[in-house]
Amino acid sequence: MKFRCVMIDAGPMREFSNIVATISKLSKECVLRVTAEQLYFIVCDENNGPTPPVLWCEIPQALFFSEYQMVGLDDEHKDIYLEVISVNLAKSLVTLKSAKSLKMKLTKKQCPCITLEIESPSATSQQMRHVTHDIPVIVIPRMRWSEFNEPKIPYPDISIELPPLKQLRTTIDRMRAMASEVVIRASAEGRLTLQIRTDMAKVSTRFKGLTVEAFGGPIEHSDSETETQINEDMSRICTCRVDAKKFSLFLSADQIAHNRTVCSVVHKKLVILCLQTQENVKIQCFISGIVY
Amino acid sequence: MDSGKTLCSLLKAIQFQECAVFCALPEGLKLTVDEGKCVQASAYIPSDNFTEYHVRDDVDVIFKISIAVLSECLNIFGSAEESSLKMYYRNEGSPLLLVLQPQSVHNVMTDCEISTQTADSVLELRDEDAAEVAKLVLKAPAFLGLLADLERSCDIIEIHLSPEHPNVSIVTYGMQDRSCIDVPKSSDMVQSFSCEEPVTLKYQLHHIRLIMKALALSTKVVLRCSANGLLLLQLKLEKEDQRQMFSEFYIVPLLDD
Repeated sequence: MKFRCVMIDAGPMREFSNIVATISKLSKECVLRVTAEQLYFIVCDENNGPTPPVLWCEIPQALFFSEYQMVGLDDEHKDIYLEVISVNLAKSLVTLKSAKSLKMKLTKKQCPCITLEIESPSATSQQMRHVTHDIPVIVIPRMRWSEFNEPKIPYPDISIELPPLKQLRTTIDRMRAMASEVVIRASAEGRLTLQIRTDMAKVSTRFKGLTVEAFGGPIEHSDSETETQINEDMSRICTCRVDAKKFSLFLSADQIAHNRTVCSVVHKKLVILCLQTQENVKIQCFISGIVY
Repeated sequence: MDSGKTLCSLLKAIQFQECAVFCALPEGLKLTVDEGKCVQASAYIPSDNFTEYHVRDDVDVIFKISIAVLSECLNIFGSAEESSLKMYYRNEGSPLLLVLQPQSVHNVMTDCEISTQTADSVLELRDEDAAEVAKLVLKAPAFLGLLADLERSCDIIEIHLSPEHPNVSIVTYGMQDRSCIDVPKSSDMVQSFSCEEPVTLKYQLHHIRLIMKALALSTKVVLRCSANGLLLLQLKLEKEDQRQMFSEFYIVPLLDD
């Protein structure tokens, strides 16, 4: 097994650092999958053992790295799967925003490590500073690889463009202070509603005029939980109740400079947030719905 | 109302209890909070702060509401955003409705229904018969600085007021120390001073500290002491558009054993 790569462009380095920082907020551990074409960051739900991942991030190597070499486990299994404490990685990569270059490689010290060599300009002199971080990793054996397969996404009932994440996050954070769950409602007419309901208050924030990318309706509303609204065709509205804290955590991805974000909803089951950056990084977050 | 921002910060300043009594009068809104019947804080929003303001005059519009939820709702688009606000209330038992819309973004709005409860009677701390013995007008930022300088570990604050020099002296007692701050009436922070004969008043320091958030927003503060020791602080908050909002604190004195 071999893995070595070099990054020298400022843009991708900043982005890489932001991506890892966002992941470290979501989860203590993450899995780094290295393949010939892409780097993957995969986060699984910590409590629930082998479940579909909650975050799936693809980074195309060609756009990020100036040098990239890797040799997999063997001829048949050409990938490498590493388990790493995401905070360690994020902390070491903080300086990357002002750095000149990054070398990242898989090394064998007392234990397997990812070694980061960061070269950054010194503030006081012309000389360069070299900082080396060794981050212990666990090499995931072949038999556990299947736990980190790409999730099979049920066909979403609706895919709708999201308003600016920062704005969305402020609103969700206010709501989170009042309630633990938030209902997301997306309509085929381009409306997105966030709603909380507690003993004290009922608050709903409505965004309108959003682009609808796909709509798979009509949606069947069988129960009386969803209140009927006048002037709205319920068969064109899709809802999902999710944990407000999780949702807000995923929205912290607003740090990553992104091109567009799309929210897909599988009625009452799943919310998928998909974020795409200029460098063609794709980050998908999966938040499962809460059903009573 | 064009911007709920000032209202929100004013509410935060008196938010030391969960619930407030919300009272809509023809001249404006009043929200009152009290703590252990010792401190009573009110926020006044005169009706001219609203672009439109209607109150039925044949019934009392008064109810209890969670001030925490209300200020969260007002702040739903974040503190950086100026958002316009509409408020509605139908009748006793119905929720308070808020509609908020940020000024910079047009495709979004929030509506809130905040449940209300029947208000208990509001404690009347003021005694009409007690004469006013002293009145001071101070600059709020300077007074805030003075309070911030006081030792936090002290429990009791003593205020001596007298027509003689030094006109105001504030004494705190700590574990090992006694500290004293004198403010003569010629000081820059004192805008007016009237006191006929010397008085000494004792208060719990943490009661006094409750006003600090409101002081930080205000420009001017009026202190009034009545003969029974009750301290009334009236704070004036000036907005950019020349309109004013007020907050008012009644603080009950400590009695000598």
